Amino acid sequence: MQRRILLPFKTKKLLFVVPVVVFAFLVFNSPALAQETISSDGETTFWLWHFLGRLHPMVVHFPIAFLIFAAILEFFTLKKFDSKFRPAIQLLVLIGAVSAIMAAVFGWLLANSDSIEGELLDLHQQVGIATAVLSLLVLLLSQRISKEQKSNQVLVYRSFLFITALGVSVTGHFGASLTHGEDFLTEILPFNGSSEQPEESISSQINLSAYQAELNPETEMKLIGEVRMVLAHNCYKCHSGAKIEGELRLDEKEFVFAGGESGKILVPGDPSKSEIIRRINLRKGHEDVMPSKGKLLTDSEKQLLELWISKGAPWPDGAAQQSIYRVAELAPRKPVLPRATAGMSNPIDLWVNEYFKENNLDWQAKIDDRTYLRRIYLDVIGLVPTTEEFLAFSQDTRPEKRTIWLQKLLNRNDDYAIHWLTFWNDALRNDYTGTGYITNGRFNITDWLYTSIRDNKPYDQFVKQLLSPNEKSKGFIEGIRWRGTVNASQRTEVQAAQNVAQVILGLNLKCASCHDSFISDWKLEEAYAFANIFADSTLEVSRCEQPTGTLAKTKILWEELGDIDSAANRAEKLRQLADRLVQPANGRMYRTIVNRIWKQMMGRGIVEPVDEMDNLPWSQDLLDWLAVDFAENGYDIKRLIFQIASSNSYQSQSVSIKSADQLIADDFQFKGLIRRRMTAEQFSDAVSQMIYPLFDSKEMKYKPNELLAEGIKGPSFPRASLVANNPFLTALGRPNREIVSTSRDSQASLLQALELTNGERLNAALHNGAVKWKAIYPNPDQLTQQLYQKALHRKPSLKEQEIAKAALGKNPSSAQIQDFFWAVLLLPEFQMVY
Amino acid sequence: MKYQVNRRDFLKKTSAAAIASMAMGAPMSGLLSSCGTPQMPSTADSVILLFMAGGMAHTETFDPKKFTPFRKGMEAKEVLSTFPSVPTILDGVHFSEGLESIGKIMDKGTLIRSYVAADLGFILHTRHQYHFHTCYEPPQSVVVPHLGAWIAKEKGPLNPVIPPFINIGQRFTVGEGEELKAFHSAGFLGSENGPFLIPDPTAGLDSVRPPIGMDTKRFESRNKLYQDLVSASPIGEFGSDYQKESLKQSMEQAYILLNSPEAKAFDLSQEPKESYDKYNTGKFGLGCLLAKRLVDQGARYITVTTEYEPFFGWDTHDNGNTRLKDMKKMIDSPIAQLISDLDASGKLERTMVIVASEFSRDMLTEGRPDLKVQDQVQVPDIIEDMKNYGMHRHFTNGCSMLMFGGGIKRGHVFGKTADERPCVTIENPIKIASIHQTVYHALGIAPDKNYKIEKRPFYTTPDGHGKAEIGLLG
Repeated sequence: MQRRILLPFKTKKLLFVVPVVVFAFLVFNSPALAQETISSDGETTFWLWHFLGRLHPMVVHFPIAFLIFAAILEFFTLKKFDSKFRPAIQLLVLIGAVSAIMAAVFGWLLANSDSIEGELLDLHQQVGIATAVLSLLVLLLSQRISKEQKSNQVLVYRSFLFITALGVSVTGHFGASLTHGEDFLTEILPFNGSSEQPEESISSQINLSAYQAELNPETEMKLIGEVRMVLAHNCYKCHSGAKIEGELRLDEKEFVFAGGESGKILVPGDPSKSEIIRRINLRKGHEDVMPSKGKLLTDSEKQLLELWISKGAPWPDGAAQQSIYRVAELAPRKPVLPRATAGMSNPIDLWVNEYFKENNLDWQAKIDDRTYLRRIYLDVIGLVPTTEEFLAFSQDTRPEKRTIWLQKLLNRNDDYAIHWLTFWNDALRNDYTGTGYITNGRFNITDWLYTSIRDNKPYDQFVKQLLSPNEKSKGFIEGIRWRGTVNASQRTEVQAAQNVAQVILGLNLKCASCHDSFISDWKLEEAYAFANIFADSTLEVSRCEQPTGTLAKTKILWEELGDIDSAANRAEKLRQLADRLVQPANGRMYRTIVNRIWKQMMGRGIVEPVDEMDNLPWSQDLLDWLAVDFAENGYDIKRLIFQIASSNSYQSQSVSIKSADQLIADDFQFKGLIRRRMTAEQFSDAVSQMIYPLFDSKEMKYKPNELLAEGIKGPSFPRASLVANNPFLTALGRPNREIVSTSRDSQASLLQALELTNGERLNAALHNGAVKWKAIYPNPDQLTQQLYQKALHRKPSLKEQEIAKAALGKNPSSAQIQDFFWAVLLLPEFQMVY
Repeated sequence: MKYQVNRRDFLKKTSAAAIASMAMGAPMSGLLSSCGTPQMPSTADSVILLFMAGGMAHTETFDPKKFTPFRKGMEAKEVLSTFPSVPTILDGVHFSEGLESIGKIMDKGTLIRSYVAADLGFILHTRHQYHFHTCYEPPQSVVVPHLGAWIAKEKGPLNPVIPPFINIGQRFTVGEGEELKAFHSAGFLGSENGPFLIPDPTAGLDSVRPPIGMDTKRFESRNKLYQDLVSASPIGEFGSDYQKESLKQSMEQAYILLNSPEAKAFDLSQEPKESYDKYNTGKFGLGCLLAKRLVDQGARYITVTTEYEPFFGWDTHDNGNTRLKDMKKMIDSPIAQLISDLDASGKLERTMVIVASEFSRDMLTEGRPDLKVQDQVQVPDIIEDMKNYGMHRHFTNGCSMLMFGGGIKRGHVFGKTADERPCVTIENPIKIASIHQTVYHALGIAPDKNYKIEKRPFYTTPDGHGKAEIGLLG
């Protein structure tokens, strides 16, 4: 005989009491009937309801625990309903159901008295109430089965119990999302591909204690600076000249105090009455929360705004001039060189030594001759040294042989020009084929560019001729004239302004040419005034593609550099612009170019990204000194390269980088030359030189040979920088030069590996080369020695010789040689500039 | 927009129903797993875009109007369609003659008759294709990623050895090749998300097999030699380096792909003859077959194009009627076969197939009727010659698209164009940003997905605008 657990009469009665209480709460929770109190946000709620509401977060744990436990025990009774667990289950269901009802009611009170709303809340509420009702049904069913022996209802009862347990979990999850934020769980998952780069945390820089005392003009200025920084980083995206949501702008004093669509946003002196403070303190997902998209403010950012308002929201008038973004000095600066120490004479080394001392870093060991020679060959002329050159160098006994050879390479004007042409083609988006050419909407500057590099044209002249161009150099500022109607922010005058700013001045004007920038202080008007210099007739300012009716002024971005005569014709305006920009007072321009050359040689700029020269350099002294030295010594790029390549800093062992992010990290520390991969052009030229030409002379789009004076030999094979872009070079990273490109993606990819593994071009060249080598080196050992010497400038180790022997056999076929080539050329040791 | 549904709305509407349905044993996993994840649940894993490059006239294909047969001396303004209409499997829905096979499978997808292409000044193919594939108007100040590159980046490969973004059928050596290259790019998403190009589908295998003339044995021993030399090379002493590591990894991945059984999917000669013949209407048809084989093996995103070459293919500046007969023959049976095959294998459930063109054509109207742009072709008022009989001008305000599978409604017609010239969209206009967002929505890519480029947010669609068109989704 089974035992029946029946609820005592009192408990049964409770079943009916609970719903009655629920309704009583709902009915009487009316402000009209109850004694009123003022809740935190002004709505009136009877204190008891408010109090009970606050119990919700505690009470909710009961139904979760009890109902889920009941469901778990129920599993153990699946075979036999009348298990010994039955009474326990019934008790669990009872407590669970009662507490579920209570939780639902308290929750309802909490939502009302604390004015919580939002879609997530609705969801939580609906599922919660449904679950509470379900749990009541489960309780009734369970009672009925036990009492009336209705075993045919067991299935229904069990389904309802399991659903209730699920419902309780779902409700709990939504509830937790409300309190902890929707991404509480998922934000830490490794596969949660949150794309946004973490913004530089500014909260760590806020020092609230500095403002606790009475403010003086100086601290007021500092405070407003920090407040504006918080607003800029968190609010400008939607509330500034760039974008005005809710009729509210926060980028200027008058707008902040004017408020927006829903009135004033702050009450000076009273944070608790200030709408902005209420909104930034709401939880994520709330309808009114600000910022409505993206991250909420950090605690210290919130405290800063509260403190500022409680101090009366002071906003001294001079504050507008104070920048919230880092702005680099425009003027040149020549720091006094540190005193020379033993073994160090190159000024670069003196600065680096200072930097190492300050940061407790050690010098890397000096590199051997082999590594040095390979490095300067690749960096100066883009080729690997031939065996003959390598031998000559190693037999050279002069103590100064490194600098002698470096100078020798710099004197190989055409090889030098062909190599550096790639860098400048990328930066000046000069290509031989591409969009725009078929409709005469684009002009090639190769001839001018090549000649300028070859002749080592002083950089100030170089820039002058680009900006105030002749027929041969006009392509850069003429830009690409696309057919059809283009965006106002991409008309050729604006392209010119953007590109000159980016390439010549290390400044991003792309934002500001559409609207006031929210990444810098640059304003739309200023970008247009700059673009106007490149215009035939005065430009009309467009904000986000809408003409504003205002005509642009004509001005250089920095007043210090001088005026442009707005009435002058275009040629005259450009002449003035060129003169103003190249003057030594424009320290920014010379910092930009020395930083670019530094990056080419050392793998990473002193400032990164190299197009954002307002960023903090790892050594301000080194950057400033190099720039002034460059300007004082004839704007001589070859001299700068010599200076860098003859320094100990360059002649030290390279440093490896574990991930690309490390290079642009804010806390980057310079430890030495960064190891990098060969460019598409360096790799191609090495293959062409050692094995077999990769390109046919028909593919060459520019033939410097034809320019050469008689008796001077040009390159013996078509070099990669002179041929039209093709799939092989594209796969290896040569950019499509429709926009300026100042650094290349050097990470390998599957598509690249496929091109190298089974691409026709490389395999054909290797095949042809193998046939040639087979005839010259019938002996496999000799062939191995030769290849290692040519490609890696060293002898193969014993182990490598064995591997090669096994692969080549005694009498290698051309196929075996071809495969051996391939394996060596794809070695990281060959592909890296180290 | 009224069609926008976010995850919470969706859950709210369905949660009560879900709780109720659980009692009937309906699965709960969909509801639970979608909680708290930042993305929508997806309805599609793969996307195939069948691109009718060159401008496919809606009135001659999927949205026929009154047919006026050719006669010498007819007035150009009389002509709305140069083909008679034929019924489709959907009641009251007609296609232009020559598209009977596709008509028979329209119960499996949605016909959109209200795609409105942007007006970008002169109506130019490469600019509009750029806009269609990237959602951005050229030029831009950064290199903008192709739709396929976004998908490759966000979803990754479905099968690790099949490149996630494959482009079939377009050569870049033909006219305006440079302009085409401009948008066949992963841009700032990084070259690993760029297109894997198969210009000729019959030579698809060449891209994924050992180099020509190298048998498997030799390929394997070459790879072993490489591995041996890598481990013997002293540069290993320098420690870890991301460029070195990425090179080694990519080489390994390439080797796996070139040696994998999946690579056989690229080989059309493995297809049974009967099936091969059904698809074989030329390069485009075989491209569809290749797409089917690749999706079966786990491809993520594929474009198959009829190929854009100025004045060829759909780019009918003359002989519109005559040439469209051939074009329809080229696409009708392969598209129908692709849909039927995917449906039969169950793949259509999670594969979205889109048939689209950069814009439409009309006999008289160039561009938008209210916006005069430069004439591209001369159309005589009185037609004496068959070569002038056809849709030769570029038209943007009313284009047809087909969408199937991956969550798209079955047997549905969306939008409408006027029955009188200029036959513009009069109901449910849909633009490119919505099309892109609909694809992203189906794949579960959040509508506000963006990357910070030069410190500015760069979204999948300009400023994150455009909403997924829920009216298309079942």
